[in-house]
Amino acid sequence: MTELLQYEFMRRALIAAVLVGLVTPIIGTFLVQRRLALLGDGIGHIALTGVALGLLTGTSPVLTAAVVATLGAILMELVRVRTRTSGDVALALLFYGGIAGGVLLIGLTPGASNATLTSFLFGSVSTVGEQDIWIVGALAVGVVAVLAVFGRELFVLCQDEDVARAHGLPVRFLSILLAVTAALTVVIAMRVVGVLMVSALMIVPVAAAQQLSRSFRVTMGLAILIGLSSSLGGLTTAFYSDLAPGATIVLLALALFCLAVLLGGVLRRVTKRRAPAPSIPWRRVRRIRCPRPMGGG
Amino acid sequence: MRATLGNFDNHFRFRHNEAVSAQFTGDGAQSPGTPPAFQAIDAYAAYDGVTVLNGVSIDIPVGQTMAVLGPNGSGKSTLMRAMLGIVPLASGEIRVHGTPLRRFRDWKRMGYVPQRLTAGGAVPATVREIVASGQVARRRRLSWPTRDDRAAVDEALAAVDLSDRAGDAVRELSGGQQQRVLIARALAGRPDTFVMDEPMAGVDAENQRALAKAIARLRDQGSTVVLVLHELGPLEEVIERAVVLEHGRVVHDGEAPEATGECARPGHEHQHPHPDPNDPDPNSADTSTPAEMIRLEVPRRD
Repeated sequence: MTELLQYEFMRRALIAAVLVGLVTPIIGTFLVQRRLALLGDGIGHIALTGVALGLLTGTSPVLTAAVVATLGAILMELVRVRTRTSGDVALALLFYGGIAGGVLLIGLTPGASNATLTSFLFGSVSTVGEQDIWIVGALAVGVVAVLAVFGRELFVLCQDEDVARAHGLPVRFLSILLAVTAALTVVIAMRVVGVLMVSALMIVPVAAAQQLSRSFRVTMGLAILIGLSSSLGGLTTAFYSDLAPGATIVLLALALFCLAVLLGGVLRRVTKRRAPAPSIPWRRVRRIRCPRPMGGG
Repeated sequence: MRATLGNFDNHFRFRHNEAVSAQFTGDGAQSPGTPPAFQAIDAYAAYDGVTVLNGVSIDIPVGQTMAVLGPNGSGKSTLMRAMLGIVPLASGEIRVHGTPLRRFRDWKRMGYVPQRLTAGGAVPATVREIVASGQVARRRRLSWPTRDDRAAVDEALAAVDLSDRAGDAVRELSGGQQQRVLIARALAGRPDTFVMDEPMAGVDAENQRALAKAIARLRDQGSTVVLVLHELGPLEEVIERAVVLEHGRVVHDGEAPEATGECARPGHEHQHPHPDPNDPDPNSADTSTPAEMIRLEVPRRD
């Protein structure tokens, strides 16, 4: 482990991995609850155009990606609401527009090559610079702050939009807020796992946590734990075994998902055997202490 | 199950004593000068060019327990959704407690009970988490729940006799129990105006009677309760006034229509209460004969 920390680039990569492992499952929990699991994927495609714009204009690609992804997220949310019937088709149009725009602009950039494109498509955590770390850190703080302030409202929104309206909540504002927060999270995770796999870190830890939990808060807490384990574990494994970090992180998350499915099955079986009363193992899982971004009763 | 009903009784008797004031005596008559809880003024609404509400005007005074009845497609659900601002009106106006809906901000007075726990929410949530979310309109941001907030959640759970299931995942409950969770969610915000969308649909007979008792208690404590119903069923005794919609128009407004039980009439659709297939203990379900449960839900225009 000390060997890992000797390298400047690895220290930066580890910081990025911690931020990504922490933030992506939080927003992912809300997206899964809202049944918008693929929203992150769509935003990832659009973010590529932003990256290319940054490279072309000589500004920080992370910053331009944040701007373009945010605009894309707002556009997607409006398209989703306005064209309810063909929402998925409209989203698909944006996906392909985003990725085609990115490839085209990178092609126009002098000095940029397929390697540049690949590093953004599949992540290149080892090239994260100091400026990137500051931007990613600030975005992470912003995302967590938004969810801490609006978590309760977002929970109601993701549970049932009609109920949110009947509570007088600003549904359109909250929907756009969630989409924009997702966009910023995509930009945070982009450098680590790449735009094509960014959604995996939002969704897979949540899918794994669901297998082991009965409550929203515990699901979110477990998802953060699984997200951190995957990002840190994947990065370390990639360093020692000379593997692609992004892919290693995602595959580790998927392995943890499989483990959670097995464990969940065992727990359920034990629960059944000890029926009729709700069984002890479940109660133990439920009482794991975890961050409480919802702050609910 | 008898214990369930007993708990309902005890709980609401307690709340009733707390809540009864000079303003709400007996049948919940409103004091003069209080604006109606809801007012629809010549309301029109349309979906994709098809008119669903065709000039509906009704006043619902504070403290009234009212049913909106009508066949499928009559506009009864749309009227209710328009009253809460879920569906926009094409023309006309909705006023809530005297304020035009657009400018209404006192949402903590409202308790909405949707027809079912939506499929939305792929992430598991406990009964307590769902019930506590009903306080969203009255809680301040970035604050922990106060003792009072927690007490309101406990009280709401007790009112629907789900205190012992508070830590369970809602999706493990039966349909009738989930319906009770939704009512508890509305109660947790301690509102005085309730809007319920077919709370009896898909609920077994025993749970239906328990829900009817809960609604009766709300009425007794002076709350306004608006129910969208397909049939009166066990709520017949509770309802003070029934408005019947047909093709987006009010065709009856007054006493709850008599139950005639003519199920075989052409065009008549009813929903028998039946034991919930997901209920873990089917033996606890009610065994009354279907004939007892049949109620007219779509009275014909006189």
